[in-house]
Amino acid sequence: MKVLTVCGLGQGTSLILKMNVESVLQSMGISGADVENTDVSSASSMNADFIITSQELSETLAGHSSTIIVVNNYFDEEEIKKALEPHVS
Amino acid sequence: MDIILWIAQNIFVTPAVLLGLIVLIGLLLQKKGPSQVISGTFKTIIGFLIINAGAGVIAGTLGIFEPMWKEVFNLESTALSDFMGQDAFSNEFGSMVAMAMTLGFLINVLLARFTKAKYIYLTGHMMFWTAMIFTGIVVNTVGTDVNFWGAVILLAVVLGIYWTVQPALTQPILRKITGNDNIALGHTSASVALLGALGGKLFGNKENDAEKLKLPKGLEFLRDSNVITALTMGILFVIGAIVVMTKSTPGAQELVASAGSQNFIVFAMIQSFTFAAGIAVVLMGVRMFIGELVPAFKGIATKIVPGAKPAFDVPIIFPFAPNAVVLGFLGAFVGALIWLVIIGNTVAYIFVPTMIVLFFHGAAAGVFGNATGGVRGALLGGFLTATVVAWGQYLMVTTFIGKTIPDTAMWAADSDMFILGPIVSFLAQLLL
Repeated sequence: MKVLTVCGLGQGTSLILKMNVESVLQSMGISGADVENTDVSSASSMNADFIITSQELSETLAGHSSTIIVVNNYFDEEEIKKALEPHVS
Repeated sequence: MDIILWIAQNIFVTPAVLLGLIVLIGLLLQKKGPSQVISGTFKTIIGFLIINAGAGVIAGTLGIFEPMWKEVFNLESTALSDFMGQDAFSNEFGSMVAMAMTLGFLINVLLARFTKAKYIYLTGHMMFWTAMIFTGIVVNTVGTDVNFWGAVILLAVVLGIYWTVQPALTQPILRKITGNDNIALGHTSASVALLGALGGKLFGNKENDAEKLKLPKGLEFLRDSNVITALTMGILFVIGAIVVMTKSTPGAQELVASAGSQNFIVFAMIQSFTFAAGIAVVLMGVRMFIGELVPAFKGIATKIVPGAKPAFDVPIIFPFAPNAVVLGFLGAFVGALIWLVIIGNTVAYIFVPTMIVLFFHGAAAGVFGNATGGVRGALLGGFLTATVVAWGQYLMVTTFIGKTIPDTAMWAADSDMFILGPIVSFLAQLLL
């Protein structure tokens, strides 16, 4: 499973989201997920199963072949878990 | 003895390998699997080497931008004095940057462990650029024969204190903005954010909250840093090209000739896209090694410091006041254009307004300014950001970093570095 976490610059915030997504996936008992952080321009030309990002950036990525999952608070592992659950399990 | 010498010559002087080694140790300490250890270490080394490639591309376009605007303002076309440039500097002093950054982080962790400021700085790319710029200042001040460990220790102490104190200074206002005390701001825009908050308090009106405004739709492209970088540099490059084409001075003719058979305005537009491409390359390299380094750092920090508060990159505050973000950027952008003209005409320096700095720092000042002074506070915060960045870049490039990496200072140095830069230079003069 390939997951992209996306922010505007692809440096800081998306990296934190990546670390939180990894820890959430681990707590859900899912191993072997490849989570990568990147900026919004690169993401639009990359292939992945899921893209996790904010509401604003999800509008820019509309039409992408990956399933886009919106998370508003990147630090809220509960919210990340709730957003991921319908897609992976 | 021979082995130590061999290690020193082959590992410590090659920053990419040294950083790879640091990440390797971090990953092993966290007991990661062999696959993660190998990919993490390799990506760190490759990432660091990519940075030099991108820096060369950026320097190439700045080499057109600067003489172009000098022509526009009728300034003497003296190029920057002899300087090393990012490429050569990284090869010679990159290890100093890597060591200072790592030891600085350990000092940050120890300060968080033993003082009341429980903040752990986790904005890895800003740690890297701050360490890079401050090393540039130290080498510029003391000279290229500076003592390696002396410089590393001075830099590590300055960085460690800065990374601990900065989040503590912004936390009182950040607490009001986010409504909680769980996360902190770890970003070099702290000084302009605080200035914005102060300006907002003095001249703004808190009741006129920016979030009550309805901003026009269609500003989504502002979220994508590649697009705004190319767009704004494009505007400046094209204006410069048009003015240069109307002139018949030798300098102007030489510039137009450098485009060869290509139309000069088209050539200038491509330069702006190339500039944005260079930044994208550098950021890709930074992403590759920071993405490995920060999780390793975090693993160490959370083991040593119970109850630590992580300090994060500035976009974490944007969702709390999205309108103030746009207003802060607008204030910074208008301010940058005003200062470009004023500084160009007074001290004959061509200010390079990079959008990464104006956007992220202007936005931070906008959010902080809005918290104390509403719409007026947000706009003023942005303008103050442009003021610090424009004059700071001028001082850096002409005085504090002119012989080492002025090319990097033009696009990767920013607010806090400009304010702390002279102090770092003074300490280096005093102690090294």
